[in-house]
Amino acid sequence: MTNGWIDIKNTDMMLIMGGNPAENHPCGFKWPIEAKLHRNAKMIVVDPRLTRTAATADLYLQIRAGADIAFLGGLINYAIQNNRIAHEYLVNYTNAAFIVREGFKLPEDGLYSGFDAEKKVYDKATWNYEEGGNLTGKAVAGAAGDPPAKVAAAKPGGAPPPPMLPPKVAYDLSLQHPRCVFQLLRQQYSRYTPEMVERITGIPKDQFLKAADLFTSIRKDGDMKKVATIIYAVGWTQHSFGTQIIRTAAMLQLLMGNVGRAGGGVNALRGHSNIQGATDMAGVFDILPGYLKMANPADTDFAAYLKRITPTAAKPDAWDSFNYWSNTPKFAVSFLKAMYGPAATKQNDWAFHYLPKIDRNYSWVNIWNDMYEGKVKGLFAFGMNGVMIGPDSQKNIEALKKADWLVVCEVYPDETSEFWRAPGISTDEMKKINTTVYRLPGAGFAEKDGTFVNSARWLQWKNVALPPPGQAKVDQEILATIFLKVRELYQKQGGKFPDAILNLSWAYTDPKNPSLAEAAKEINGKALADITDPKTNQTIKAGQQLPGFAWLKDDGTTMSGNWLYCGSWTEAGAMTQRRGTEDPSGLGIYPNWAWSWPMNRRVMYNRASCNLDGKPWDPSRRQVWWDETKQSWVGNDVPDFKPDSNPKDHMGPFIMNPEGVGRLFVPLGAMADGPFPEYYEPIESPIANPLHPNQNNNPVVKKYKTDMDKYGTVDQGYNVICTTYRLTEHYHYWTKNNPMNVQLVPEPFVEIPVELADKLTIRGGDKVKVTSARSTYIAKAMVTRRIRPMKIDGKETFQIGIPIHWGFRGIAEDEGKTAKTLANQLTPTVIDPNAFTPEFKGFLVKLEKA
Amino acid sequence: MGTAVERFDDKARNIFDRIGTNDVYQGELLRHRPYTRFLHWMVALFFFLALFSGFGIYLPWLFRWFTPIFGGGALARSMHPWFGVGFCFFFGLQVLNWLEPMRWTKADTKWTRGLKNQILKPEKLEPPETGFFNGGQKVQFWEILIGSAVFLITGIIMWVGTETFGRITVAVSYVLHDLSALIMLFGIFIHMYLSTFGQPGTFHAMTRGSVTEAWAWTFHPAWYKQVTGRDPRQAYEEARRQMEAGRR
Amino acid sequence: MSDRRTLQIKQISAHPGPIPGEGVQRDLEVCKLVDTTTCIGCKACEVACVEWNDMPFSVTTFDNTYQTMPETRWNFWNLIKFNEHQKEDGTIQWLMRKDQCMHCADPGCLRACPADGAIVQYSNGIVDFNQENCIGCEFCVSGCPFNIPKFNQTTKKVYKCTLCSDRVGQGLEPACIKACPTGCLKFGTKDDMKFIAEERAKQLREHSGYANAGVYDPQSIGGTHVIYVLHDATRPELYGGLPKDPQIPWSYTVWKWLAKPVLGTLALFGLLGVCLHYVTVGPRKPQPEPPRKER
Repeated sequence: MTNGWIDIKNTDMMLIMGGNPAENHPCGFKWPIEAKLHRNAKMIVVDPRLTRTAATADLYLQIRAGADIAFLGGLINYAIQNNRIAHEYLVNYTNAAFIVREGFKLPEDGLYSGFDAEKKVYDKATWNYEEGGNLTGKAVAGAAGDPPAKVAAAKPGGAPPPPMLPPKVAYDLSLQHPRCVFQLLRQQYSRYTPEMVERITGIPKDQFLKAADLFTSIRKDGDMKKVATIIYAVGWTQHSFGTQIIRTAAMLQLLMGNVGRAGGGVNALRGHSNIQGATDMAGVFDILPGYLKMANPADTDFAAYLKRITPTAAKPDAWDSFNYWSNTPKFAVSFLKAMYGPAATKQNDWAFHYLPKIDRNYSWVNIWNDMYEGKVKGLFAFGMNGVMIGPDSQKNIEALKKADWLVVCEVYPDETSEFWRAPGISTDEMKKINTTVYRLPGAGFAEKDGTFVNSARWLQWKNVALPPPGQAKVDQEILATIFLKVRELYQKQGGKFPDAILNLSWAYTDPKNPSLAEAAKEINGKALADITDPKTNQTIKAGQQLPGFAWLKDDGTTMSGNWLYCGSWTEAGAMTQRRGTEDPSGLGIYPNWAWSWPMNRRVMYNRASCNLDGKPWDPSRRQVWWDETKQSWVGNDVPDFKPDSNPKDHMGPFIMNPEGVGRLFVPLGAMADGPFPEYYEPIESPIANPLHPNQNNNPVVKKYKTDMDKYGTVDQGYNVICTTYRLTEHYHYWTKNNPMNVQLVPEPFVEIPVELADKLTIRGGDKVKVTSARSTYIAKAMVTRRIRPMKIDGKETFQIGIPIHWGFRGIAEDEGKTAKTLANQLTPTVIDPNAFTPEFKGFLVKLEKA
Repeated sequence: MGTAVERFDDKARNIFDRIGTNDVYQGELLRHRPYTRFLHWMVALFFFLALFSGFGIYLPWLFRWFTPIFGGGALARSMHPWFGVGFCFFFGLQVLNWLEPMRWTKADTKWTRGLKNQILKPEKLEPPETGFFNGGQKVQFWEILIGSAVFLITGIIMWVGTETFGRITVAVSYVLHDLSALIMLFGIFIHMYLSTFGQPGTFHAMTRGSVTEAWAWTFHPAWYKQVTGRDPRQAYEEARRQMEAGRR
Repeated sequence: MSDRRTLQIKQISAHPGPIPGEGVQRDLEVCKLVDTTTCIGCKACEVACVEWNDMPFSVTTFDNTYQTMPETRWNFWNLIKFNEHQKEDGTIQWLMRKDQCMHCADPGCLRACPADGAIVQYSNGIVDFNQENCIGCEFCVSGCPFNIPKFNQTTKKVYKCTLCSDRVGQGLEPACIKACPTGCLKFGTKDDMKFIAEERAKQLREHSGYANAGVYDPQSIGGTHVIYVLHDATRPELYGGLPKDPQIPWSYTVWKWLAKPVLGTLALFGLLGVCLHYVTVGPRKPQPEPPRKER
């Protein structure tokens, strides 16, 4: 979340889409309700089903699963057409005025410029800004012919260097230049007319217009006081274009001036209690803690690595850019010092070469694909149920059959550790499975301490409620035991490259069971030598905890496991354990409750909550502001900005971008599939893309090629759109072991529109069979009016929905009350090219009476 | 039906005759055979069990007096319907047993009309056409029959509960059940009085089964005539003369 | 136990003249407010109720609904009722209402109950069952307009929501209130809850387009100590059969408090009558009677 849970109470308008917070985040849903109760805020819910969130909405629209970009693109178009945009914000805080290089082409035919049809990748050289100066008022000249900026200078003779952002970007503050970002944006989304939205999404035009008018009404007549928020979850990420859906939302929010403001922002609701922490701490293959990029084989030394990952400012000459990522070397060196301690020295490039270098995509679906192809021989499964997660669970089961070993650390017997007894595997077949399965008794969340990082980026410490029962052990003890054994083996036997293991810093009081408090302090980081801030003359002694990441050094005098968390456990103690309930501003900031990264800021980019002069857009919701007397940014929240940057210097509020401003247009390689989001059909879709029938799907999405990877079409009879989701009453795949949850929702079911059920003579409670190109799922029918038939591109189309919670181990399962099929046996192995998230939502199935 | 019922009754009466005895002495007449007496007392037993268990539940100020008899309110409540079932069962048999003598006749209508006279200024003898049962007894019999039908139906409704019959039906049943009980209780007071203090000699008919001839010609003259063949009035006059002669 | 009069104003500092509000007592009746318009059907209240009251788990079966079970059970006192309602304009409303004992001001269960001390109504409005005294007659079941009391076949007793009288007695809110994540459940004095509810209903009418929004606090039974804010107060039956005009069966009113004693006395008149008859008219003996003794 750019903002936070409590901050939602400050909003005037909510668009909840691609998420179902009432069901999946019921506690956080208090704040949307507060906004309704105390601000008369309006709530628009767009979802394939009338969910419990939609039940409390002021306006609910039923959308086809996966059609979100069309809807949001339509909103962008509506906002521009009706001038419901934040003009001052747009010009100064986004790259709307930046000029894009000549040669860049919008995807009228479904493809941006630079597409390599064979490799299915883009050459992104044209996705860049034009170098130059202020072109305001010179629009016509610029458009007429020769580009004013020296494009030629950017490409001298010989082999072209990897494209870089120009340090000085050409811009047109009147936004009239035909190649300025705003004009391109307008052109791009002018195709997303209400009629087109209706054809793609199935939302009738009048309803769409009602929603568009309502959502953009906060910018009626140029008023900047009101704020709208966008709230989403995995309903947006789990598509073959998921990242671009979120981009569209972010662009809409930038366009309307809602980012950085209390009650605004783009707010991702995380699906697990600590998924934010997992991401921050590099639970993803291509990043290191704190979102530092992972090294790759081309990074021949540390300097080359730093050069690749440290951006340089790219901005209009007259403006300023903080470009906070320019501090990357400090973060990286401090991280390596935390990892390898004294073994990391300047001489050995801070032990940079101990880090693994990733040569290809190791994302979730690829791991299973590689295992299925025999390349991955073993798997550690901690805190997740890989078979149930899918996609295409059957493929995962088949993959595990081919593995040599599997280690599962769990609190219940689960489908992954018992993949060998999945339905359909006979006793004879079981005997042929040679995978050795090791089951480790893990501890439940209440049996361990440590922090949860919630969607609002708060690190909150929790205490142990109960000791782990029986032989169960906390994760760190299990991991430490494994690590110490591996290190011992390396010590005894040597090996190809033992240094990275032998030199790993492991300075815990109890090496066999490191306390999480110690780990948390290590993650925060400390000074390794006395360091002094030349401005304030403040000194931090060697060994003291660092108060914040501004203190990090690239000379080896500081260490920090994750620069973003620096400040969470200082000399003053564990900030994560704070429980102060004072909220002086009344904005729900609660600065003394736990600790929020970065540097306890509750709303990110909060400089954007003020106008150019540094005065809040809405005086009744004052977050931060420029104090002329102090010559400093001050406020109720911690300013997310260079504190002494005078508004006159025009430093951009989006300090993590080299431009300093929000990106409506994403230059270069940040996105794999285009600088603007374009609507593509899901991989399995019932219609040809109405925008460009010849380019139906996301062009850079690759399909997997094993015999298990099958994709269905309407012609093959897969004519119903299916989506998957969770229920309030269950938590993923483990509450099916808890009788309390089981009594609330006892059995698996499939939600089916009344009209479709009538056609197939299915009645509520009948057993139905849902078949995709991959497998079959059997459950009882829940016949409902909460999903209506839709007209998609003029064709009557039905959607059904499947909650994902049931497998082949659990109370109902063990009592023989279910068919023991898994929802994710249906889902396709297709991933988003940016975040590599599988397309769990919006695939094709056929429905029959079982 | 009649014959089947008669066969059943005859069989039952004969079986009970073998178990029980009919000691009829000189100057006495057999009035109730053991089967009838057995049924009567079973009905009485279950009636009182049901009455007391029911009344404890019915009247709050009797709750603490009556329910302990049955081991507390909960037990009283759970046994009460079974008492009711017992009552209905035995009374049902009694109905079959008495279907014939309880048939309403013109004599009963006449008897009923003279009721007031009989209560307040008792004639020495009942009207000569008064048979085995008089009109009052028959009224009570039919009242109990109707009353127990009400008991049974409403009782079952209350027993099975609101889920099957709905809340209002149960609530109305509750009232009818109690109303029926009150009417029956009113009748039972009269019945007990007349069979004991009110008409001495009657009680013996239900204990040993016999009554004196004098009792018979006084209260059920037509029956007397039927079983002895003598004229009740004459028999009475004879007895009176003898008694007067004896005094002299 | 708190003294009823502790919150009366006794004196006020530096106030000339008569003391304002002297002797005025705050309402001590408690009330649970359920705002159905902000309920998200998350069932936290159901779980909290089962847990706090330490009740055994229920076996449930799929029934074409998100609703946990069709009605409350003896061991499941708090049930959110889910109803899909198609409005006149064709749109669907998914209504969720937390069903539990309403703690009526005039409790039908208490009226119907024949067992001494099995049902009590506290001065704060809570209607509580005392299973120790319950005889399991289930009269309360028919007396209740909301189908709340439920019979346990094993213990032969009837159970229902206690409004957490054990918690409330200690100054805590009921477990369901504590668990509610959205704040659609509130607990306080009846006056306060009524005020909040009316304000919310007004907001719904003025800002959310629910012209018929209102508060459910049925006066036919003297009001309840659980009140609802409804999107459409004119049609409470849409919310899982909430009766528009709940009634206690006439039989309990007329029968129990009037006819029972009167007719009971009449039945006793039978006894009295025969006694009088014996004394005044005297018994009828078989004739001829022996002559009376002359004096």
